[in-house]
Amino acid sequence: MGLIRRIVATGRAAQKAPKRPEPLPPARRLKRSLQIRHVDAGSCNGCEIELGQAFSPVYDAERYGARLVASPRHADAITVTGPVTVNMAEALRTTYEAMPEPRLVIGIGDCARNCGAFAGAHAVLGPVDDVVPVDLHVPGCPPEPDTIVAALRGLTGR
Amino acid sequence: MNVVAASLAAAGGCAVAGAVSAVLVGRSVRAALVGLLTALSGAAAVVAGAAAANGAAWSLTAPYLLPLTGIELAVDPLSGWFLLLVGAVTAVTGVYTIGYAGRQGEGPGSRPSLFLLPLFAASLMLVPVAASVPTLLVGWELMAVTSLLLVVTEHRHAPAVRDAGVWYAALTQLGFVALLVGLLWLAAAAGGTSFAAIRAGAADVDAVTASVVFLLGLVGFAGKAGAVPLHPWLPRAHAESPSHVSALMSAAMVKLGVYGLLRLGFDLLGGGARWWWLVLAAVGAVSALYGITQAAVARDIKRMLAFSTSENVGLILLGVGFAGMYAQAGNPTAAALALGAALLHAANHSAFKALLFAGAGSVVRATGTRDMDRLGGLVRAMPATTALFAGGALAAAALPPGNGFVSEWLLLQSLLHPGPDAGAMLTIAAPIAVAVVAATAGIGVATYVKAVGTGFLARPRSDRAATARESPPSMVVAMVLAALACVALAMVPGLTVPALSRITSDLRLADPGETFAASTFALRVEAATLWPLWTVVGIVAGTAAVAVTARALGRARRRAPAWDCGGGPLTERMEYTATSFAEPLQRIFDNVLAPEQDVDVTHVDESRYHVTAIRFHQRIPDRVENRLWQPLVTALRSLGERARPLASGSVHRYLGYMLVALLAVLVVGVLP
Repeated sequence: MGLIRRIVATGRAAQKAPKRPEPLPPARRLKRSLQIRHVDAGSCNGCEIELGQAFSPVYDAERYGARLVASPRHADAITVTGPVTVNMAEALRTTYEAMPEPRLVIGIGDCARNCGAFAGAHAVLGPVDDVVPVDLHVPGCPPEPDTIVAALRGLTGR
Repeated sequence: MNVVAASLAAAGGCAVAGAVSAVLVGRSVRAALVGLLTALSGAAAVVAGAAAANGAAWSLTAPYLLPLTGIELAVDPLSGWFLLLVGAVTAVTGVYTIGYAGRQGEGPGSRPSLFLLPLFAASLMLVPVAASVPTLLVGWELMAVTSLLLVVTEHRHAPAVRDAGVWYAALTQLGFVALLVGLLWLAAAAGGTSFAAIRAGAADVDAVTASVVFLLGLVGFAGKAGAVPLHPWLPRAHAESPSHVSALMSAAMVKLGVYGLLRLGFDLLGGGARWWWLVLAAVGAVSALYGITQAAVARDIKRMLAFSTSENVGLILLGVGFAGMYAQAGNPTAAALALGAALLHAANHSAFKALLFAGAGSVVRATGTRDMDRLGGLVRAMPATTALFAGGALAAAALPPGNGFVSEWLLLQSLLHPGPDAGAMLTIAAPIAVAVVAATAGIGVATYVKAVGTGFLARPRSDRAATARESPPSMVVAMVLAALACVALAMVPGLTVPALSRITSDLRLADPGETFAASTFALRVEAATLWPLWTVVGIVAGTAAVAVTARALGRARRRAPAWDCGGGPLTERMEYTATSFAEPLQRIFDNVLAPEQDVDVTHVDESRYHVTAIRFHQRIPDRVENRLWQPLVTALRSLGERARPLASGSVHRYLGYMLVALLAVLVVGVLP
């Protein structure tokens, strides 16, 4: 009974669905469902915390068809955070190659676009675009969960 | 001239010629000649067996051949069936021997080993055609001695071979003593040593004698068949002997234990009491479960196959036991179906186990190891062997296109229909047996997935496995022959119906008044097997259709490297081994198997927190052996030690013992 009482007391945790963003042009999106593999290419983990929130009960990106999976073999897209470090470049490339086609790359955060605060550091190879072609950038340092969810909704069109 | 007589003479002649040529011929052609003659001998026995199973009768009495009793031979459909199995396995093994024994003239190619092989084959053929107690016992002992000597062929290589020999010798002699006492007692009670005389006098044998004789026969015959708890010789002997001998023993010799039980229980004793067959079915059920559980966790490929033999023999004995119970309960249709399923499973097991042992032998020959943890990757080096072994594994796992499925399905059919007035015993026993067969089949699938997956696929886990080479053509041909037998039994098992129905009616499973119609049985088989031919055709056609459609309609295929989590190249250290694959099963059956594990951690000198090496060692002991046989062995050994003063070394004293023993026998035997 305790569980049921708890459920009733908690009520609805998920936020109301924001207005549906404008879907991306058909060439750059997948319909309704998006399986995502996440790759941390050298991030400070700030983006990971926000990405985790995006899939939490509050923002709940899964209700818009986006889902995190455990292997690039199952994925339609990879989300990449951070500047690409020397040690992660090969892993990122093989992850991309391991995905079945059609495949998308989503760069999360400013570092993925231009290396952010880490630009020029000795272990940094460069932005994600130098290693794999990026289809969509989500700006922010770190991007808010709402921004990430909106970007994913643009891809799923829901 | 009678076809049975002619082909049996040819079989015997070829076997003797093989033995003689093994002595006379030089090592370069010795294996080829002996192998060929053994194969011819087996082929002739196949002809004789097929003719006898289809009703050709023949008998021979040679009173001068053996002192006091003479040799009596005869064939009936039952002996024909087993002669057919033995002959087919011998033919395959003969061809296999040509390449396996090779030209070096060592181990299996040595003169004694090749001399004994055709003799072993001949003794295997002698047992089912024996028609009197002394003839059967002579054939049985010849079979035991020749197989024992063949098992210890490679005794110089490993102490384990000698150990296997001792266990085999001890248990097979225990069984022989039980048979000797039981059969001679029966002959004395029935008033004649020939089977015809025993059959005629069986009605006069009182129930207690008959029961004791049956139980003694159970010890002898089921022990030879490798049933639990008389099995400890089997995994040892099958694993340590050369592979062509393993194939002959596992695919042919253990079946003769089943033959003996059928001959003794149904034919000579005429059915007996219902509890006999319940005991037999219980032995079969325990063997099936214990065998497959041990096979599932074995990492030695031949030990795994040996325990799988225990399992399959268990299923056969289960079928035989239920046939007996059904016959006693007055349900001849179910009895015939159960017996037919058991006999068909015997044939199926002969076919796929000969194939699997031949495949395992090729692997051992190419890699020098039986440890599946050190194999892997053989599919590239040995494609033919891998494909054939996988086919045999499919059959042994009792999955639909394989022949093992047909007979296990039939067995389940017979167990699922105990009939309306079967009585309490059958009503309780049948569902338990169904559960046993189902559990066995399920664990069997895991076992053979492990064998093929970790033994042959993925990457090689040792240098020897990486440098393996395909076997010589004669070995591959032998495996193809065995595989063809599997395919034939899988697709058209209906061909065996005439022989099987002749056997069941011959064994008087039906009431004496009722003539047993072969068509009843045939209809049942066809209804119960779901038309095996169409099952196979359907599965093959369905798979092909999916493959072709996917190729035609799907996207272009893209080759990508195996996914390694981005962590660098995959190595063989990351693969499933046989041990790790079986770990979940082993965990489930922890209480039954009681594995012994050692984890040995070596630390860096400076710090307890850093490790240089971790050694993991696991052994899965045979608990039946440890709990039942080891105490017996210990007790016997201490008795032997205490009796040491009796053997003083004085010949006079030994002669005195003989005199005392003779007097004791005379007093006990003559006075009453």
